[in-house]
Amino acid sequence: MFTSIFQEHRGFGKQIFLLAKNELIKTYKGAVIGPLWSVVKPAFTIFVYWFAFSVGIKALKAVKVHLNGMEHAAFSIDFFTFMFIGIVPWFFIQDQIVQGAKTLRNNRQFITKVKFPVSTILTYTGLSRLFVHIFLVAIMYVYVLFRIGPSWYNLQFFLYCPLMFIFFLALSWSTAPMSAFSKDFESLIVSVMSGVFWLSGIMYDSYSFTGGLKIAMLLNPINFFANGYRNCFLYHRAFFTYKTELVIFLVEFLAVFFLGIFNYNRLRKKLPDVL
Amino acid sequence: MSEPIITFKNVSKTYILYKNDQARFKALFIKPKNPKTNKALNNVSFEIYRGESVGIVGDNGAGKSTLLKMITGVAFPDEGDIIVDGKVAALLELTAGFSLEMTGRENIYLKGYILGLEDDYIKEIEENIIEFAQLGDYIDQPVRTYSSGMKMRLGFAINVNIEPDVLVVDEALAVGDASFKRKCKDKIKEIMTNGTTVLYVSHSADSVREICPRSIYLRKGTVIFDGPTDETLKVYQDYKESQKAKKKK
Repeated sequence: MFTSIFQEHRGFGKQIFLLAKNELIKTYKGAVIGPLWSVVKPAFTIFVYWFAFSVGIKALKAVKVHLNGMEHAAFSIDFFTFMFIGIVPWFFIQDQIVQGAKTLRNNRQFITKVKFPVSTILTYTGLSRLFVHIFLVAIMYVYVLFRIGPSWYNLQFFLYCPLMFIFFLALSWSTAPMSAFSKDFESLIVSVMSGVFWLSGIMYDSYSFTGGLKIAMLLNPINFFANGYRNCFLYHRAFFTYKTELVIFLVEFLAVFFLGIFNYNRLRKKLPDVL
Repeated sequence: MSEPIITFKNVSKTYILYKNDQARFKALFIKPKNPKTNKALNNVSFEIYRGESVGIVGDNGAGKSTLLKMITGVAFPDEGDIIVDGKVAALLELTAGFSLEMTGRENIYLKGYILGLEDDYIKEIEENIIEFAQLGDYIDQPVRTYSSGMKMRLGFAINVNIEPDVLVVDEALAVGDASFKRKCKDKIKEIMTNGTTVLYVSHSADSVREICPRSIYLRKGTVIFDGPTDETLKVYQDYKESQKAKKKK
C-alpha cells in the first residue's frame, strides 16, 4: 500500500529541491521586484483585514465581533498582532490547498508525455510554497521579537511547520488526482476555500466559543495550526496544553494521510488517460 | 536470442468514455455502471528479445500509441502484465517533459535521474549529449529560451546517448533541418548495430521493411499477425485492399 509514493521519492531528493527552486523562479520571473511579490500580496491582504476590523467595523459600533476573545489570555494583546500571527500560516494553507489541487492538471506534460515520478510533482511545488512561507515567517518573527520578545516556546515552530507541510501535502495526494480527474472537483475546492477563511479562527479566537460550536472549531485542522503558531509566538503555550485539540488533530492527520495514499494509488494509473 | 527484454502477457486496456462531466465527477466516488468503453488493446501477448528490431504497423486507432506508451511507462494496462527489462528511450514526444526553467544541462540530469542513472554515469555522457545536440553555450540557458528545434535536438540527444536497452521510434518524427535529420538516422542505425532493441512504428511499408526483420500488425487493439516483416506486410496490404473493395461495392 505504501509503495508508490515513497518509491517515487527514493533517490529523487536532490531533484525535488532543484525543481522547487525552479518553481519559485517560474512564479516570479519577469517581475521587476521579483520575489518581493511574495511579501507584497500578503502584506496588502493583512492591511485590508486590519483596516476593516480595527478601523472600519469599529466605526460601525454595531458589530462587536469576537475580537475580544483574547481577554482570557495571560496578557492582552492588540488585534493586529493576534491576526498577523494567525494569518501567516493561513496564507500557506490556502495556497497549498487551492494550488495543490490544481498542480497535477497544470503539470500534465509530466504525466501524459513522459515517465515521471508523479507524486514528486506535488512535493516540489509544495516545497516552493513552503520556501515562501518560511520567508514570511522570518519577517513576522522580526515583528514578534520587537512586539513580544523571544521565548523558548518559539522553537515549537519547528514542530508545527513541518507538520503543517506534511498534513496539507498528504491532503493533496487525494485532492490533486481527483481534481485532475474532474474539473468540477477542482472548482468545488476553490469555491469552498474562499469561505473557509471565515470559518477558521484567523480573524477571531476559535477557543472563545462554548458548546457545540467549540467542538466544531476543534474539528477544523486549520485552527490547529493558526492556534499552534499563536502557541509558539503569542500565548507561549506548549503544544500539548489542549489535549483534546491535539488528539482530534492527530486522528485527522492519520485519516488524511492514509486516505491520501489510498486515493493516489487508486487514481495514479488512470491519470495519463484522463489528462 | 537469450531471454525476452519486453514481455506482454494478455495485456488489455480499456478507455472509459464518460458521457459528460457529471458522469466523470460521479465516477470519482462510485464505479460507473456499464459505461461506454473503447478497447484500445485486447488480450495482446508477445515477446521481444534483446537485439531484435520489431516494426509495429496498423491503421490509426489500432492501439499503436497505447502500446508504446505502456512500454515507455507512461500508461498502464487494466489487465495483464508487462515486463520491460532495461532502460527505455523513446523518440516520441521530444519537446515534452522538460522543466522549462532549468537549464539544458540540469534537464539532462533530471532525465537521467528519472531513468535511474547515477551522477557519475550522467557526467560521463553529458559531453556527448551536448555535442550531439549542437547547442553550444545555450546548454546553460533555461530551456524556455530554446527554439522548438533546439528542444527537439536536446531531447533526441539525451535519449540516444543514455545507451538504452530499448529504443522506441516513431517514424513521424521530425527533427530539425536536413543535415540533423541525417545525423539522427545514422545514430539510430548505429544504435541498432550495437545490439539495442528497437521498436519502430510507421505507416510506410518500405521503411519498416528496410529496418525491421520482424513486424507486428495491430488492428483494433488485437494482434492480427506477428512474424517476418514481408509476411506481416502482406497480411496488412491484403486487408487494406479488401476494405477498399468493400467500399467500392
